Amino acid sequence: MRYAGEKKFNLWTALTLILLAGFLVFVIYPIAMLILRSLYADGVVDLSYFGKFFSRKYYWSTLVNSFQVTIVSTVIATLIAVPMAYVLRGVKIKGAGFLNILIVMSYLSPPFIGAYAWIQLLGRNGLFTNIVNRLFHVRFMGLYGFGGIVLVFSLQSFPLIYMYVSGALKNLDNSLNEAAEMLGCNAVQRVTKIIFPLVMPSLLAGVLMVFMRVFSDFGTPMTIGEGYKTFPSMLYTQFMGEVSTNEGFAASLCVIVILIALMLFFVQKALGAHFSYSMTALKPMEAMEVKGGRKVGAYVFTYFVTGVAALPQITVIVTSFMKTISGSLFTGEFTLENYYNILAKNNTAAITNTYLFGLIAIVIVVVAGILISYLSVRKRSVLTGILDTLTMFPYIVPGSVLGIAFLYAFNGAPFFLGGTALIMIVALSIRRMPYTIRSSTAIIGQISPSIEEAAISLGASQWKTFLTVTVPMMLPGVLAGAIMSWITLISELSSSVILYTSRTMTLTVAIYSEVIRSNFGNAAAYSTILTVTSILSLLLFFKFSGGRDISV
Amino acid sequence: MSVSITIDNAVKRFGKDTIINGLSLDIRPGEFFTLLGPSGCGKTTLLRMIIGFNTIEGGVFKIGEQIINDIPTNKRNIGMVFQNYAVFPHMNVFDNVAFGLKNRKMPKREIEKKVDNILKVVKIDHLKDRMPAKLSGGQQQRVALARAIVIEPQVLLMDEPLSNLDAKLRVEMRNAIKNIQKEIGITTVYVTHDQEEALAVSDRIAVMNGGVIQQIDVPSRIYQRPANRFVSHFIGLSNFLQVTIRQEADGRHIRFEGCDYDVLLEPLREEAKDGEKALCAVRPEEFVIHTDGTKGIPATIRSAVFLGTATHYFLSTAEGHEIEAIQDSEAWEILPEGREVTLSVKASKINLFDENGERSFIVREEER
Repeated sequence: MRYAGEKKFNLWTALTLILLAGFLVFVIYPIAMLILRSLYADGVVDLSYFGKFFSRKYYWSTLVNSFQVTIVSTVIATLIAVPMAYVLRGVKIKGAGFLNILIVMSYLSPPFIGAYAWIQLLGRNGLFTNIVNRLFHVRFMGLYGFGGIVLVFSLQSFPLIYMYVSGALKNLDNSLNEAAEMLGCNAVQRVTKIIFPLVMPSLLAGVLMVFMRVFSDFGTPMTIGEGYKTFPSMLYTQFMGEVSTNEGFAASLCVIVILIALMLFFVQKALGAHFSYSMTALKPMEAMEVKGGRKVGAYVFTYFVTGVAALPQITVIVTSFMKTISGSLFTGEFTLENYYNILAKNNTAAITNTYLFGLIAIVIVVVAGILISYLSVRKRSVLTGILDTLTMFPYIVPGSVLGIAFLYAFNGAPFFLGGTALIMIVALSIRRMPYTIRSSTAIIGQISPSIEEAAISLGASQWKTFLTVTVPMMLPGVLAGAIMSWITLISELSSSVILYTSRTMTLTVAIYSEVIRSNFGNAAAYSTILTVTSILSLLLFFKFSGGRDISV
Repeated sequence: MSVSITIDNAVKRFGKDTIINGLSLDIRPGEFFTLLGPSGCGKTTLLRMIIGFNTIEGGVFKIGEQIINDIPTNKRNIGMVFQNYAVFPHMNVFDNVAFGLKNRKMPKREIEKKVDNILKVVKIDHLKDRMPAKLSGGQQQRVALARAIVIEPQVLLMDEPLSNLDAKLRVEMRNAIKNIQKEIGITTVYVTHDQEEALAVSDRIAVMNGGVIQQIDVPSRIYQRPANRFVSHFIGLSNFLQVTIRQEADGRHIRFEGCDYDVLLEPLREEAKDGEKALCAVRPEEFVIHTDGTKGIPATIRSAVFLGTATHYFLSTAEGHEIEAIQDSEAWEILPEGREVTLSVKASKINLFDENGERSFIVREEER
């Protein structure tokens, strides 16, 4: 939309072009390079890499494995999340707010930390394993492989579905429930006929998000999988070249992941368009006081699930203060040695890098997010339309794939960005961009254009209006979102682990490499720093947003 | 068959707050009964006690001869139309209306017949397959109404059903609701804070304030003979003037404070004794404005608003009281600002309350 007297080519157009160029260079170009590489074998275009993948069981079975763990974990996560959301919304439970924070926390830590914490508890020499073996005189060898991966993924993913469903329940007007009751529904029928169908769209959205996250995660199977290889873990080992580095083959694997993610994305779009009800609750469902067995059941269920979900975080924090003896924690001896190791012996670059990169990336993401959402909502044109579509690309590119594409594209001439802090920061920003843009677009959609028009009619220029009216109005919502983005950024592993060098190492990468080297003590100390940072940020979020619901 | 609703000594508490304390009410079979009052007066609370969304802390609620206190809502067979319609967003019009019938395990063929029939009654049979998101507010309200009456409830409850509609649609829908209610003859309890709406649709109105019923009467009586100052003030517009009662040879007169104007006002209750101070309520149309020096309350015109059939005057008395008066337009040129006039009152129409405005001094027509 243009106002009277506005030139056709103005600052907004220039801004659109600059942003567009940025996305072309940092999103389209690397992905295009990746696709090209997957298609060229020995200088000619053919599909031999794809042929290689689908003809050898060693390769394609990882895809089957991936689907297996993903489907099973997603189903279990859903089965935990839905009753959890319903009980916590519908039943008065003391400490519900605290449970809510713990649940969100368990989602915000990188999945592989959960994996290594569970090894401490249920692994070969784990705390629970030893207790069980001593008590029952059995030789339980610990939970690894398929079972271990599914355990970690399910517990790590249910919070996201929980948040989606819980949000949907909050938007459900209680008069719908009352209307159903008046028309003869009992409590169970109300759940099956009214509540469940109405939270279905949010549930599906959450389930698909989880599916994509779980499907592309490689840290967990690398940590707890032992021989059980999933597609992302195979991709990572192929790329890191423990056996032999075949760039073209790795690229074709990346393309397969992108195609699968793309498919899921369209499934989600189609389902989202099919089931969407606009609901705004005038009077949301109220938490009810229940008595007797139902009360006990509700407490046991919610506290148990939350406890299990938070267990990895607790394990990490506790073991960070314990002496490590031959890879086994829980020695019972208190020590600050782990912290001494990471803070004094090793260089502390990992810690400072994490904060520095995270902060810079957040600034980039917030500024670009506000600008892009403003352009695509208020200055709709062909160009901004293209920009809006481009910004969704990173959404379907898993982190490790983005990392690989970045390496291929920017390592050598003409960019020479390999191993720089810049490439890490750009990767982090790009990864987070779609989420921030989506939430900013929602925020700007709630601001009436007439407020801006009022400012213009009172003599403010468009830029002045944007900076003094629009941006301040968007800021509270955007900043709340930025805190959540920040927590996600500092726990990012998949792209960083591919792009880092010793100088640009971050906390998650440090944790990961310590875990792989079985330096569990150091890993625990690093993780604790990460967890404490996340908890403080989360508390800041709650203070800042005045109890707003978390959207990730 | 239509049934009565009897509420005897109802008590409602939320925690320590008592919202309703010993309220009794008889609603006649087939009656369109309205609970009218300002927000927070307890009218919606009472309605939700009848349907069972609020617990009953005391008293007896009866539908017909059946005590319903301990019957769960889904077994009470009461239909309700909600303020925000509460149309199920995931079902089309047909499924919304059929929902209650399906819960009653009715054969499919019969459900279809009944739904088609009721959709014709509420005039939305052409929208049968629409989803609620594609319906206007008025159409959604018709779905909500059809859904509530298709189950053939003993009683129909409506909680401010028109408050989310625009003014024009509100008038159209209230006539539709009234007609449909008469057509099926169902006992209906209607909650609103809009006095015009209440006057238009009701057989009888209960005016509530602070959890207490102030007056139950037919609409015309509520307007013409309000039981106390609250009702007089809440329904329509009233000017309140201080008067003194004086016994004269031909009966009791009221003398308006601060001027030499009095009128004969009989029959009055016995409590209205000579010398007693009282409060006179005069609606704007119950004044007559004189420019020829006729005896009355002296006042000055402050402003005039011409409204077509009538002209609305804002005046002030010598003591500085503000008064509103309405005159038929044909009788007068519009009086200019600052003009000194006198105001007489139409004695047969005005109301008189005790000094605190708690009780009417007028003997009601049926008691004469």
